[in-house]
Order: sequence, then structure tokens, then C-alpha cells
Amino acid sequence: MTAPTPSGKAKQDDARRALVDLSVPSEPGNERLAMERVAEAVKELDLPAQRLERLKTAVAEATMNAMEHGNRYRPEVPVKIQVLASDADLLVRITDQGGSPVPDPDKEVPDLEAKLEGLQSPRGWGLLLIKNMVDEMHITSDAVHHTIEMVMHLEGKDDAAGQPT
Amino acid sequence: MPPANQPEASVRQEPGGAVLDLRGEINGFAQEALEAAYTEAEAQDPEAILLNFEGVDYINSTGIALIVGLLARARTSKRRLLAYGLSDHYIEIFNITRLSDFMSVYPDEQSALSDASAS
Repeated sequence: MTAPTPSGKAKQDDARRALVDLSVPSEPGNERLAMERVAEAVKELDLPAQRLERLKTAVAEATMNAMEHGNRYRPEVPVKIQVLASDADLLVRITDQGGSPVPDPDKEVPDLEAKLEGLQSPRGWGLLLIKNMVDEMHITSDAVHHTIEMVMHLEGKDDAAGQPT
Repeated sequence: MPPANQPEASVRQEPGGAVLDLRGEINGFAQEALEAAYTEAEAQDPEAILLNFEGVDYINSTGIALIVGLLARARTSKRRLLAYGLSDHYIEIFNITRLSDFMSVYPDEQSALSDASAS
């Protein structure tokens, strides 16, 4: 009898160590709590200041989306946050219990001119910000959960990397 | 959870325009303060309104949406909206959202007021 083969995700997680597992109630403003807790957890990685600011924004926006769109701001339904790191990268996984379809960040691009003309809601910036703050963003869902995974590569990156032109 | 750093906004009139001094967090909790301060600033019919972010330590996507709302109001009344005092991180966010294409961003009040007065 052979042991079950770990999935690709499980294999990757094996190479990473958990820095923190936490959950926050889905209440307005709690994204800051999540952001500060993650920032505290990654202190040992000594990220350059700009990378840390980007990570904090990405975590805050993903947590807000999870609380609002996934958990509908029901305080009793927590947002779960897992932070993992290897020598090569840092991964933050944020999970809610949403049942609605996952938006496609490549299709739902906010257009400032349309917003100024009243043709689009002034809101809807979260995914665009997350996508620009981290090196990789993956959204998955099953019948019960949405999960957003955000990856920051740790090797060969400094404050100048990823600067907008 | 209420914001750790309660948003506040106050208005002062300067020769180049009205300045909105913003403090704390620009998020959903800031809507009332921001819109009330903008309305007060508009009452003097200035050519330019300057958003002073020097006292702001956090802006989220809901805060960005509030700024979009102010920008839409400014465009409707053909008024310039300028910003100064943003950290490098939030300048990057203004670039990503293209807010900086529609409102000039300055490092400090002096340069913002100088440009507002010259226009």
C-alpha cells in the first residue's frame, strides 16, 4: 500500500514554515488588525520598507474583500489568515466563507474615467491594488470558501523592484 | 472595530485655494468628515481645493473611492483638486489607480499652493 501523494499545494506548503495562523471577526475596520498582525509576523524576514508597505496594503484589501463580499460583515463568521514563508517566498492565504462567484480581476478592471463620469461605482479598487502590490495573486473557491493567495518573492528583490514607471 | 485613528478633516482658506487638512485614516469611517469638509471648502468658491495628507497614516480602497467622489465633485464645478503630503507608498497607489492623472500631487503645501496660485 502506498501513502497518498501530497497535492502540489501541499508539497509547496511542506517547504514553507508557518509564521502565523489567525482569524479576525468580519467587522468594518478589522482589516487593520489583520494588517498589523501580519506585519508583526513577518518582522523576522526583514522586508525592505516599501515591500512591507505593499504587503500590508495587499493584506488589508484582501481581508476587507473577504469580510465584505465573502462573509457579508457577519462578525460571527471569521476571516482566516495564514502566513507561510520559505527562503524563496512569502505566502499569505486569506479565506472567507463566501458563496458568490469569484470576480475575475482581469475582466473587472476599474476605470477611473468611467467612475468620474458616474458610469462605474467609485468603489472596486481592491483587487487592482492587491494585484499590483504582490508578485503573484491566485483566487480559488469551492462550494463554501473563497481563498486568495498572495505571494511575494523574497530573493533578488529590493525596494526598487516593481516600481511603477 | 472602530478606527484606531479616528478620521478628521478641517478647512482653512489660503491665498491659492482652500486646504483640507486630513488626519487619521481615510477609509469608510472618513466619509462624513471628508464630505462635510469638502462642502465647507466649496462654500467660498475657491478655484482650487488642496487635500493635505500629511496627517494621514492609512488609506484603503474605500478611502480611494471617497477621493474619487471628491474629484468628481471638483470636475463638475470646474475646480482643481490637488494633493500633497502623501507618502511614497500612497503616491504609488495614486499612480496605480490613475488618480495622479487627474489631480496633481505635490510633496508639500508650499509647492501645491504655489502652483494653485499660478494657474
